[in-house]
Amino acid sequence: MVVLESIRRKDLWVVAILGFLVIASAGMLGIFGFQGLELFAKDLGFSVLSMFSTVVAVLTSTRVMPEELKQRTLYPLLARPISRFDLLVGKLLGSILVSWIGFLLLAAMTGIALLWFGVKFDLLTVQYLVAKMLGLVIVCSVGLTLSLCMTHAAGCTVSVRVAFASGLISRALILACASSSDGFRLLFKVLNGVLPAYGLFDLGGRAAYLHWSPVAPWVILALAAYMLIYSSSMLALAWIRFRRLAI
Amino acid sequence: MQLPIAVEDLHVQYRQKNGKIVDAVQGLSFAVQPGEVVGFLGPNGAGKSSTLKAMMGFLEPRQGKCDIFGLPSGSVEAKRRIGYLPEVALYYPFLTPLETLHFYGELQGMSGRTLRDETRSMLAQVGLEESSGKLNRNLSKGLLQRLGIAQALLGSPELLILDEVTSGLDPLGRRELRALLNERKSRGCTLFFSSHELAEVEMLCDRILVIHNGKFVEERNLGALREQIGRYALTFISRDFPKNTAQPPTDLGNGQFLARFANKKHLLEAISSVHGSGGQVLDVIAEEGSIEDYFIDTIERAA
Repeated sequence: MVVLESIRRKDLWVVAILGFLVIASAGMLGIFGFQGLELFAKDLGFSVLSMFSTVVAVLTSTRVMPEELKQRTLYPLLARPISRFDLLVGKLLGSILVSWIGFLLLAAMTGIALLWFGVKFDLLTVQYLVAKMLGLVIVCSVGLTLSLCMTHAAGCTVSVRVAFASGLISRALILACASSSDGFRLLFKVLNGVLPAYGLFDLGGRAAYLHWSPVAPWVILALAAYMLIYSSSMLALAWIRFRRLAI
Repeated sequence: MQLPIAVEDLHVQYRQKNGKIVDAVQGLSFAVQPGEVVGFLGPNGAGKSSTLKAMMGFLEPRQGKCDIFGLPSGSVEAKRRIGYLPEVALYYPFLTPLETLHFYGELQGMSGRTLRDETRSMLAQVGLEESSGKLNRNLSKGLLQRLGIAQALLGSPELLILDEVTSGLDPLGRRELRALLNERKSRGCTLFFSSHELAEVEMLCDRILVIHNGKFVEERNLGALREQIGRYALTFISRDFPKNTAQPPTDLGNGQFLARFANKKHLLEAISSVHGSGGQVLDVIAEEGSIEDYFIDTIERAA
C-alpha cells in the first residue's frame, strides 16, 4: 500500500528524475573530458545518493501515520481484524520498502553515471549499498516514531536534522563529555547512546577511495544487529504512543 | 448466545486543544439482541460518535466497558465480526473503488476468487460498477458514501455499526441502501446505526435509543412508539365536551368541535359520551404521529 501510494503520488518519479539529473551531470563532466577524476566522481555520486535516499526515507516514514490520521482513513483500516501493532509494523515495513526502492533506483542511476567514467565496482561498493540500506531502516523507524509524538512538519524537520547532523551532534556530545563533571558526563554519554549513529552506516567515503579493501563481514553483521536493536526500540516507543491514542 | 453489543456504564472523556476535559459519554448502558435493528439517536454533540468509537476500540473508555459478542471492543476477534461505516467516509485517494474493496477484503482475510467475486458483487449492489475504475479522489461525496457502505458490508459481517449511514446519499441512494440493509436484516445480521434522518430510522429500526449530552434518555420499541405518538381526531356536535382530550376542543363554528385523543380507549369513550349526550359524531380520523415530534419533545424534556 505504501509503495503503491508512493508510485501514484509520484514520489518515486521524483527520485527517478533526480537520478536522471545525476546521470546528465556526469555526462556533462564526461563531455568536458574529466574521465580521469574517478575519485571525485565516486565521492560525489555516493554523497548525492546518500542525501537523496535519506530525504526519501524521512519524507515517507514521517508521512504515513499523520496522513492516515489527517485523512481519517485510519477508521475503516482499524475496523478490520488487525491490531494497532500490526498496523505500525506494516507502515514501517512499507516505508522501508519505499526507501529501499528509491535508494536502489538512485543507486542504479548513479552506477550508470559512474560507469560513464569507467569506474569499476567492487565488493566494497556492495558493502556500501548494504550498509546504507540498513541505515535507512533506522531513518524510517526514527521518522515513524517522531511523527507520532509531534506534528507531521515537526517530525519531518527533526528527523531530517537528526539524519544529517547526528555525526556533528555526537562529536559535540563527546567533547562536552570530556570537559564536564561526572553527573553531566553520564548524561552526555546517555544522550550519545540514544542518538542514532547514522555515520556508522555510511561507507561512501571508504568506497569512494580507490584501493581501499572491503570491511570484514562481522562489521556488516554488527551494523545489522545495531539496526535491529535500534529500530525495534523505536518501534516499541511508537507502539507505546499509538496503542492508546484516541483516534 | 452472546449479545452482539453490551455496553455497561460507559464513560468517555476528551481533552480539548485548550486542555479542557469534556465528558462526551456519561454512564451509558444498553444491549442489542441478535438480529435486532437499533437506531441510535441524539442531537449533534450528544455523544453518538464517541459511543460508536468506543464500541470499535478507537478510543479507550475512562470507565465501563463495551463487549462485542462477549469479546472486548477493539480486539481482533471482535472486529472480525463487525462491519463499520465511519461518520466521515474517506478512503485512500490514490486507489480505485475496486482496489479499495480488494484491500479491505484482504485485511478481512478474504482471498482469491471469493475476494474477486465479493468485491465485484458489492460494487454492483451499491451502484458503483461504472465508477469502479476511477480514482477515489475523483468520486463525489455520495459515491464515496456508497464505497463506505460497500466496505462495511464486505465479508457479510454479523454486526453492522454504521455512523450517519445516509449522509451524502440522494433519495435514490437512500432507497437502495434501505433495501440493502433490509436484505442483511432478513439474513439475521444485527444493525446498530446513528442517523439524523428520522424517516430512515422509522423505516428500518425495531428499536431506538435516545441520548443527550452523553447521557441515556430513553429507549423505545418503534412499534409501541408509533402507537403511542399516534393521535385520533374526532369532529362532533354536542353540548357536553368529552373527557380525556389531548388538548381543549377547537370550535369549528356551526356548533361543531374538533377534539384530539392520545389513544383509542379515550376516543371510544368520547364517542360514547357524545352519543350519550344526544350529540352527533361527524368524523373520526386516525392521525399518524411523527417520530420527529417525538424526538424533539424527548430532547427538550431531557434538556
